[in-house]
Amino acid sequence: MHNGINTDKQVETLAIAASGEEIRRASEWLTSALRQRDVPDPQVECLELALHEVLANVLAHGGSAARIEPIRICIEVREKATTGEARVKVRDAGIPFDPTGAPEHTPAKTLAEAPIGGLGLPLIRRCSDWMSYRREGGRNHFVFGTRWPKL
Amino acid sequence: MSISHTDIGDDLRKIVISGRLDLTGTKSVAGELEKLAAAPKKGVVVDVSSLKFLASLGIRALLKSAKAVEERGGRMVLVVGTNSQVVMSLEATGVSNVLPMFKSSGEAERVAVA
Repeated sequence: MHNGINTDKQVETLAIAASGEEIRRASEWLTSALRQRDVPDPQVECLELALHEVLANVLAHGGSAARIEPIRICIEVREKATTGEARVKVRDAGIPFDPTGAPEHTPAKTLAEAPIGGLGLPLIRRCSDWMSYRREGGRNHFVFGTRWPKL
Repeated sequence: MSISHTDIGDDLRKIVISGRLDLTGTKSVAGELEKLAAAPKKGVVVDVSSLKFLASLGIRALLKSAKAVEERGGRMVLVVGTNSQVVMSLEATGVSNVLPMFKSSGEAERVAVA
């Protein structure tokens, strides 16, 4: 799989196959790349969790098309005067799915009525300050990110 | 990824999970967790305080076991210690509302068998 660093030091890309082992590789890549760029630990942890959930969704619901082509991930870290910002773009060839249009999760009141599925999207939402989605060229393009105040 | 357990008297089983409950890690321990939680004990305490990562699939495995314990009349609770990442995952999914979590083992054990 391709793994390259852009000439712009704040952008990095990775391509992975759709498998659990590859998702773990993507997690390790993401955390390492963000820490190298001095992204604060709470934001690194959040983005790692959100990326895991996005990729797990592709694997579980993307269908056979998602497994044929590599899933491409790009991270971008931007430094502004008073804030830092990190965004993660995920592109996959799976079944069209817009996470931004999914209904809000309603927490259960009792253990008996708590659903055991559908917990990935609440985590993505909790860990992202923004999300965007478009379907283009037969692929899902999902972008999420977070920002933090600079000291 | 590791999972172990200790029985404390006749009523209580304590299960400790450590490592990463991501997709791969959850697959490797989910069956064992289900089996351990199925023991005929009144209370089950699952210590997740040393987890490095808790994804939705890991939460799903915890919920599944907690439901099984409740269905046979017992109670399952979690020990989260000061693990902010684990607490955040449980709170974001609303699972903290239905699966009690405690900072200390002692408190969790008392509630599990109460």
